[in-house]
Amino acid sequence: MTVPAVSFSGVGKVYKRPRLLGAQFTTGIRDLSFELQPGEITGLLGLNGAGKTTIMKLITGLLFPTSGKVSVFGYAPSRTEAKARVGYLPELPYFPPQLRPVEALAYYGRLSGLSGATLSSAVGAAMSRTGLEPHAGKRVSEFSKGMLQRLGLAQALLHGPDLLLLDEPVSGLDPLAIHDIRGLLAGLNGEGRAIFLSSHSISEVEKLCSRVLIMVRGSLARTVLRAEWEAAPGGLEGIFVEAVK
Amino acid sequence: MRRSFSTVVSVALNSFSENVRNKFFAVFAVFAFAAVYASVLAGVMAVDQEARVLTDFGLTLIELIALAYALFNASSVLLREAETKTIYLVFSRPVPRWAYLAGKLAGSLLTSAVMLALMGAMHLLLLRLRGFPPPVDYAWALAGSLLKLSVITSLAFFVSLFSTSAVSTLVISGVIWTAGHFAIETRFLAEHSPGVKGGLLKAAIWLIPNFQLFNVRDSGGTLPLAAFATAALWTVGAGLAALALLWRKEF
Repeated sequence: MTVPAVSFSGVGKVYKRPRLLGAQFTTGIRDLSFELQPGEITGLLGLNGAGKTTIMKLITGLLFPTSGKVSVFGYAPSRTEAKARVGYLPELPYFPPQLRPVEALAYYGRLSGLSGATLSSAVGAAMSRTGLEPHAGKRVSEFSKGMLQRLGLAQALLHGPDLLLLDEPVSGLDPLAIHDIRGLLAGLNGEGRAIFLSSHSISEVEKLCSRVLIMVRGSLARTVLRAEWEAAPGGLEGIFVEAVK
Repeated sequence: MRRSFSTVVSVALNSFSENVRNKFFAVFAVFAFAAVYASVLAGVMAVDQEARVLTDFGLTLIELIALAYALFNASSVLLREAETKTIYLVFSRPVPRWAYLAGKLAGSLLTSAVMLALMGAMHLLLLRLRGFPPPVDYAWALAGSLLKLSVITSLAFFVSLFSTSAVSTLVISGVIWTAGHFAIETRFLAEHSPGVKGGLLKAAIWLIPNFQLFNVRDSGGTLPLAAFATAALWTVGAGLAALALLWRKEF
């Protein structure tokens, strides 16, 4: 049996905010269970505060679950074996403005354990794949939002991950950039990589994903397969609106 | 282990490169050169003690400016990486948290060392222009300052992981720095104070590093081995305390 790329089993996350006297507790997600299979593109939809980013951060080990169990390719997310197989693009990624894209990518490549000729070739491939090659001489401070997003994708692809986690990958991009990124993601999926993307753009999720998870106030409200939304009169949007109402 | 060491080096070099490219480094450098140059004026006013005043005043300014920069940098570096989400791109990779912390600390210390070396070179040039030879214990004095910076930087990293802002880290670290320069006086007071007051002062002796150990003038012109060992213990101890906080920190 194939080991799932990601497995959530009864996962809960409660945020604790220290106050002068005591603390304030906020539930991020509650009793969440789902699996992502290798090679699958899965979408994550939900309103603001539904828990999308919390899920992404739990998978990358940036947050720790309060209850339940998260595993990535069979390992705890904090383990090297898990992290080495995951590429993460956070929402609105930041890079030091004085750097050139090659310098930024070389740094993150080294952190992923690449070196020497392997590093150079991985940086070159990521630059070419994300269409950054013509901008290699520019500094990050000269980059548009779309170029920054491409650089964010490039750093996530550097080490050839089996699972890509993309938090709002097309947020604020122009239609051409969205088209390019969609093509890139489809190509990556064609190579057998699993992609898990959260987005507010229902149409993008609809075009790319084979399955969609809809989160409502920290709980999984629905799991929808492509065949279901293609058969529904209002499409995925109709199902989403009904789920979050 | 080899890979973790390579991660420490990568983080340290990146941190150093970011530090020296930061506009605050340039501002500090300009201020430092102006302040060290100003020590010439103090030296001239000292008439027959010009060499001594120029040396001591310059070294004091060098140490204080390097301290101000080191504290500013150490108190904001982790906070800045968390706020800009840069840390997401680091900790979502197979980067051990200890390696990241050690790299950031090493990068900060490398920046401090370069800053001390540049200001020291300028100071020696000024001494030479005034016709004085380089003081024999000059390198030891700079080494003492670097040891102090190593201890206070590590402590500032630790404080920054539980304090609510960069300003509170600066204040707490500044208090530790000041109190650490009165360790002998604190020990004297602790021995002569009865009750709770004496107990608190005795606790302070253990909780605050003795920065007077690193003053070359107080140690007879060189730094004893104990000074290096003490600096290493405090730096590693504060680093481990910082790691204990970073280990389970969420971003």
